Amino acid sequence: MNGNEAVARGAFEAGVKVASGFPGTPSTEVMDYTKYRYPDIYCEWSTNEKVGLEVAIGASFAGYRSFAVMKTVGLHVAADALGGAAGSQINGGLVLVVGDDVGRIAGDDYNDVRHYGNMFNIPVLEPSDSQEAKDLMIKAFEISEEYSTPVILKITSVICKTTSGVSIDESATYKVKIKQKYKVSFSKVIMTTMMMNAKGSEHPKLTKCFNDFPAHMRRLAEDCNNFDINKLELKGKKIGVITAGTPYFYTTEVLPDASILKVGMVMPLPEKLIRELAAHVEKLYVIEDGHDIMEKNIKDLGIAVIGKELFPKFPEMMRFTPDIIEEKLVPDAPKRTLMDGIPFRLPVSCAGCSHLFISQILRNHKIKAAADVTCGLIGCFPHMESYSLQKCMGSSIALAHGYNVATDHKENFVAMIGDGGFWATGINGLMNLIFNDSQSTTIIVDNSCLAMTGGQHIASSEFGFNYKPENKLEIAKVCEAIGVKDIVTVDAYEFENLEKAILNAVNSNTNSVVIVQKPCVTKFKLPKSDIYQIDQDLCTQCRKCINIGCLAIESKKGKDGKVEIVINEDLCVGCGLCSTACKFDAINS
Amino acid sequence: MQDTGKNIIIAGVGGQGILLFSNLLSKYYMKLGYELKISDVIGLGQRGGGVESHFRYSNKPVLSPFIKSGDVDYLLSFEQTETLRYLHCLKDDGIVFTSTFELSTSSVNTRLEKDMPESKTELIKRSGKKTFIIDPEENKSPDFDISKMMNIVMLAIYAEFRGYPHEEMIEIVRESVPAKFIEGNIKAYEKGVEIARAFAL
Repeated sequence: MNGNEAVARGAFEAGVKVASGFPGTPSTEVMDYTKYRYPDIYCEWSTNEKVGLEVAIGASFAGYRSFAVMKTVGLHVAADALGGAAGSQINGGLVLVVGDDVGRIAGDDYNDVRHYGNMFNIPVLEPSDSQEAKDLMIKAFEISEEYSTPVILKITSVICKTTSGVSIDESATYKVKIKQKYKVSFSKVIMTTMMMNAKGSEHPKLTKCFNDFPAHMRRLAEDCNNFDINKLELKGKKIGVITAGTPYFYTTEVLPDASILKVGMVMPLPEKLIRELAAHVEKLYVIEDGHDIMEKNIKDLGIAVIGKELFPKFPEMMRFTPDIIEEKLVPDAPKRTLMDGIPFRLPVSCAGCSHLFISQILRNHKIKAAADVTCGLIGCFPHMESYSLQKCMGSSIALAHGYNVATDHKENFVAMIGDGGFWATGINGLMNLIFNDSQSTTIIVDNSCLAMTGGQHIASSEFGFNYKPENKLEIAKVCEAIGVKDIVTVDAYEFENLEKAILNAVNSNTNSVVIVQKPCVTKFKLPKSDIYQIDQDLCTQCRKCINIGCLAIESKKGKDGKVEIVINEDLCVGCGLCSTACKFDAINS
Repeated sequence: MQDTGKNIIIAGVGGQGILLFSNLLSKYYMKLGYELKISDVIGLGQRGGGVESHFRYSNKPVLSPFIKSGDVDYLLSFEQTETLRYLHCLKDDGIVFTSTFELSTSSVNTRLEKDMPESKTELIKRSGKKTFIIDPEENKSPDFDISKMMNIVMLAIYAEFRGYPHEEMIEIVRESVPAKFIEGNIKAYEKGVEIARAFAL
């Protein structure tokens, strides 16, 4: 099982009733495995991470074990909801399964979910392999209920995508667990008000509102010294290592004689075990993926550890590898280096992607635009240069609006957003610009799914876990209801119409939305049309077609060593965009 | 001597079926009772991004999900730029199986950087490692699309090299791929065996 499968199995064995969340690499498949393997569990992809977490919190208050899954970037969206749940009365266990993209393997930012553990004073568990991913998922629910706290299960791009053995009790049956201890569950604001004003009062109307969350956490910090998920392996006295997650295995492989404290719960830390290890060894190291969070927390205990000073974090090291540990801690280890000059791969859009059409039109007409978090953000990379602004998911509409109000609407800065980003939070940007009387243009790419994470359903999809045709949300209707003045819907492959629609929208002096329709070529495996070829006699190598950013167009040395621009016939889907870019009529089907 | 385990890197670009390849291979080793760890590293982008799979099987528990540079026994690569990226990870006596297929990189296409001046195939040949180089162009067949099924061709070549029973491998393929693709996959497998035998492995 890979880590995502194992987490889903853990949810099943823990008797989870409700799973919600929002797709995000690397942890998206946790939901897919939960849905398709364990149909007893209610599953939903929510409109965004915050909504997803709130669904799980509501289910937990009803007494049922529930989890929300997202990536760390998604937890930024849901952070307010987590702040509300942290320290509150928890009935059914509440677990956040959060994927950290250590090493930026899937292109994420340098995030570390453990910061939320520090900020909200809630426990964080981190597995080292699939077996632990399953076991810690179950343990997370136990801790959540025992200590009345949400628990974060931190999984990483390595854990999620690594397959290793998991022992499974095949005869295990699904049993929903219900715990309804508290009649009310309020955010800390209410509880701290109680603490300050009603200390000592025994009136049940007051005490039911009060939850002594600092005491729960102190008890957990004490108890975790005896948790079997925190393992102290005392061996040699020279080197001691405190580690968690997959770096535990890098360490044991490279330093078989070292004494190791392997923590399954990275927050709070088992202070007694750390002191025991510190007293046993000459030098104590911390080896942790992501930020130097355990290191700082250990140093706060007054214990000297070596971490960041020996293993610089970013940008020198994106994640630990066995090589890095060996280089620093094994004298005379052989050094092996990558061959020089191997070209790197910038991400490229799939051949036939509707985003390529939009990027091309914006570039051709020098229209300034903001991209969103969508497959279309590939248009920001230097091989395409179609966008000049791009931030977080759902942001582009408000970014463009901000630009336009600052420049008195003289430049018509356009927002491009995917349908996933639109429903997630972008719709707020659209509502905002309408009632603030802005005249911005928004291009919404309707490809019928959340393409970037592998094609999960969204509010306007015609499929999904809980899909019913009558509940499908129509982007155009919603835009109309919000009050957008000018709404046009076009097929991406009708290049001239699309070009006209975008230019009309940009040049009109009212707010407008252009909805560009074309199902995701990869998710829906659209049928290929006749593929295109480049006539080498007519090609001047002007490279206009290459700048489209299509994966199928390559610059290659032919057999005779001469560079040619060619269309890869296995990749071409016959969308014809490249032929519109060629001024020399060299590209034809 | 009994095989105690090996470290393998499987490399290529998105869409080449690398994950299916490692999945098929894992089924074989699981049947033999080995412990496994397979770690897939997939870059950004649905298609055309680099993909690497660290595949470790052993008769003892496997520790690190990533293979330390210098510990790789076999590099199985479906794209030759990617082959170059992992050559330094091989043991001194490590062995390379590679396709000469090349998907040019976006950075070279758009002249953000220069391509390597030398032929990549030649660089692989001169790596000092034992190499088996497969040219998909020369092995095209009307029976299956080699651009999509190099993974199965490679599986057959690897199985022949390791002396694994082809019937068992084909059975695993049969169990694992959708019914409509079985025939093509078996043709690809047979082609792989033919290529491997021509190498006189």
